[in-house]
Amino acid sequence: MIRGAATRKTGRQGEWILLAALAAEVVIFCAVAPQFATVGNFFEITRLSVELGLLAIALTPILITGGIDLSVGSMMGLAAVMFGVANRDWGLPVPAAAAVSLLTGAAGGALNATLIARLGIPPLIVTLGTFSLFRGIAEGITEAAVNYTGFPPMFLAIGQGYLWGVVPAQLPIFALVLAAYVVLLHRSVVGRALYAIGFSPAGARYAGIPVGRRLALIYVLSGVVSSLAAIVYVAHLGQARSDAGNGYELDAITAVVLGGTSVFGGRGTLWGTILGLFSISVLRNGLRLAALPSELAGVMTGVLLLATIAIDRLRTRHTAAAASRGDDVYSATPRPDRIGRGDEDEDFDVKNSQVAVICAAMLVGSLIVAATNAWLVRSLVSTAPAAAPGAAASPAAAPASRPVIAMMPKAKGDPYFVSCRVGAEEAAKELGVELIWDGPTGLDAARQNEVIDNWITRKVDVIAVAVENRGGISTVLRKARERGIKVVTWDADAEPDARDFFVNQATAEGIANTLTDEAARLLGGRGEFAIVTGALSAANQNEWIAFIKQRLQQHPGLTLATIRPSDDDRDKAFAETQTIMRVHPNVKLIMAISAPAVPGAGEAVRQANRKDVNVIGLSLPNINKPYVHAGVVQTVVLWNTRDLGYATIHSAVQLLRGGLQAGAATVDVGRLGALQIRGSEIILGAPLKFTRANIDQFDF
Amino acid sequence: MNGTAPRRDLSVAAAIVALAALLAVAAPGFFAGANLLDLFLANLPVLIVALGMTLVILTGQIDISVGSLLAVCGVAAGLLAKTGLPLPLVAVGTCLTGLAFGAINGALVAYAKIPSIVATLATMVILRDGLRWTTEGAWVQDLPPGFQWLGTSQSIYPFVAGGTAIALAGFFAWGLQHLAAGRAIYATGSNRDAARLAGIPTAFVTAAAFAALGALTGLAALLSVVRFNQIPSNAGLGFELKVIAAVVVGGVAITGGRGRIGGTILGVVLLGMIGPALTFLGVNAYWERAIQGGIILAALLFDALRTRPVTHAAAVATTR
Repeated sequence: MIRGAATRKTGRQGEWILLAALAAEVVIFCAVAPQFATVGNFFEITRLSVELGLLAIALTPILITGGIDLSVGSMMGLAAVMFGVANRDWGLPVPAAAAVSLLTGAAGGALNATLIARLGIPPLIVTLGTFSLFRGIAEGITEAAVNYTGFPPMFLAIGQGYLWGVVPAQLPIFALVLAAYVVLLHRSVVGRALYAIGFSPAGARYAGIPVGRRLALIYVLSGVVSSLAAIVYVAHLGQARSDAGNGYELDAITAVVLGGTSVFGGRGTLWGTILGLFSISVLRNGLRLAALPSELAGVMTGVLLLATIAIDRLRTRHTAAAASRGDDVYSATPRPDRIGRGDEDEDFDVKNSQVAVICAAMLVGSLIVAATNAWLVRSLVSTAPAAAPGAAASPAAAPASRPVIAMMPKAKGDPYFVSCRVGAEEAAKELGVELIWDGPTGLDAARQNEVIDNWITRKVDVIAVAVENRGGISTVLRKARERGIKVVTWDADAEPDARDFFVNQATAEGIANTLTDEAARLLGGRGEFAIVTGALSAANQNEWIAFIKQRLQQHPGLTLATIRPSDDDRDKAFAETQTIMRVHPNVKLIMAISAPAVPGAGEAVRQANRKDVNVIGLSLPNINKPYVHAGVVQTVVLWNTRDLGYATIHSAVQLLRGGLQAGAATVDVGRLGALQIRGSEIILGAPLKFTRANIDQFDF
Repeated sequence: MNGTAPRRDLSVAAAIVALAALLAVAAPGFFAGANLLDLFLANLPVLIVALGMTLVILTGQIDISVGSLLAVCGVAAGLLAKTGLPLPLVAVGTCLTGLAFGAINGALVAYAKIPSIVATLATMVILRDGLRWTTEGAWVQDLPPGFQWLGTSQSIYPFVAGGTAIALAGFFAWGLQHLAAGRAIYATGSNRDAARLAGIPTAFVTAAAFAALGALTGLAALLSVVRFNQIPSNAGLGFELKVIAAVVVGGVAITGGRGRIGGTILGVVLLGMIGPALTFLGVNAYWERAIQGGIILAALLFDALRTRPVTHAAAVATTR
């Protein structure tokens, strides 16, 4: 029954739809994205798809049985941390550490398997629970802060090296896992059993298939493959931290579903999954090379998902109607009408309508791209006249075409980086350079590497990056320098040999000291205070906390009562501050060290009417003005973010045009005048303290 | 159908009582009126959206786009208020925004026949990235003075919001059992074919459940943003998981057709109190997430062992 023509045919057809979409993507990007159609870029796409691809491969058989595993991303986090613990803390060699990591994956998978296959709890609920549990254990073990680095170079080569100069070293691992899963799913009795279970669990049971054991097998395998993905991830980034694989589960499920696997089970292939994976990766890569906003990738992935499934459903409805079964095709229960559905003629009919719908979807997609491009071109043209005087004033001969400066924030939507961008664009306009502004939408070290790899492929002139993870990004920055691209870091530094200059707005120690001294001043040198941080695993915040604790030795009267996370969410900071004030009534000062947390803490203090509690922190003036004026927030510490973006672009352009060379003592940055250079660090100046007296003078 | 429901809500109630007893001994400050009021207000959005999510899950579907929709509706509320519309119209407009997006989800699922998890995965990504693209992370600021507390004051607002939520919860709890529409939802989720053959417009019922969830998400967004005087554009990250966890922990069957509003409320209470309770008990923040996951799994495990299916075939059937 399952081996029948129906399953074969549907699988092939789903792939055909997606193949067309993928081909359209490739054609469009070949036209609009420079350097897209190169061998190097092809292999970069495959390298960046490996971790996600492993998860997608593991999820395919699970979805085919009608199940789901939401815990794969969290398992990556736990397995990465266990690898780090085994290798760095216990001193085990890499193979043994990898074994520990894989065993962790097997154990986690076994927990899922027991609850799902043995106790019969729905997979969605079980893995929703283990989704929290695995990530939580990883955070608990490392206190979310420990970042394991310093792995042997031989191991890092798995994630960063090349075979024969072009093939990424992790590709063979991916190919092996894929081959093993293809044999399991498409060439073995076990695989046929999985389809049968997805088709009808009870039916499979009566056909003599050991349903529980088959289900258990794929959930355990999913844990193992997730931890393998974690090992590749650690080798790729050179770091093991509890946030590894955050959010990967949804991307992986998207790839599988896009590939034509039915969430109701019984249908789907690994080839489809691979196609789904690459249509997502190519989309992201192409948009980045074309310097289009990366948010478009999410929007277009969503549209593509809806379009392909809708087409698939149209066909299903058509055939279902032929089987006179009515409109219940979205039913979650197994249906007898799946048996022997469709014949050649009907499929041919539907194919025509599919072509029409696909064409419509492609048309809409390409229109979006074209419109954005047109907008981009227009905005470039409009800045060109303004650029001319700046270029003429430059002492060095301007290159024939406008130089391209690619600038990356840690997180795109963060108000802090949004205000840096304003200054950067001001400088780009002044100097007549093209500014590409792109980066991850949330703090994500892996995504930063991905974007830089794309920029190297695109051959930009200067890369300016606010580094999220020092160890992980340095390798790829060195690669950029080897290829003749100038590298500047800003906001947070990479390894000194991985960049030309670092635009340093303030040191972590300086920030921590300013905040701690301010706390001591407000508390009169004695009392309890609490810290509301960003995400528990945020590297910057953890560095500041370390320096704050160090500075506390000079203020023996101050006690740090507790540290609470806000996940950079204003509302969570609000709730946490409310709880802090109740649990620790002696806390007289809240130190919030994440931009959205300061107004959150301020609102909590204001609503509680606790006039005895002070709020200070690191944030932007605009979102804090109401609280500073109300006297709830006393001091906000920050540098001028606009100047930071402005100085970064100026330094980058001077570096490119030869106005700034190693060993220089100062650099002239437009309206800011000459900035001092210490070693290879360009010093922006001391942090600003915003209080009621001066906050209205700033607008960012 | 719901008469034969496994009463997971009993396990949840037991977990709540155990946690409360522990708190009463170790940290009685937890039960201070002001703290309970804060917790109530903080979990109000979760409760309101969970009511709608219960409807959707009862029809055998799921909606994972509510977190993104919460952010969109919050920003919409702010923008509407800034146009100078009177506050009641702002409230209506926000709910209508939610209703419109919910109806789109419903149409995709019920009429375009796209599996709900796929359709709402797509709208989740589209709404989130679309919002990021248009706002570029900027917050909605300079709201009109009456916006905070919806034109009331900090002391009156909890009664307005709490009254609304309790009225809604009561209405849905009663309506699901006693209104024809409520029975249609159970029927649709229990056996869609039988329901359709019995004359119930199952596609319309499904779409309406999504639309109701959208409208409730709009209301939740409104009630959550009016507690502040500026609106961030990145709200609601992970909100969908919180809501779905509360509903399924409360005993609503993910396969549809079984569960009660009472169970959902217990689920919201349990998940809403775990976090602050651990803080009161002095548990290190780093272990909180692991313990939360552990408590959910423990409730499921307890429930599964208590109501363990007798035959293997039944066990297989429940994995669906």
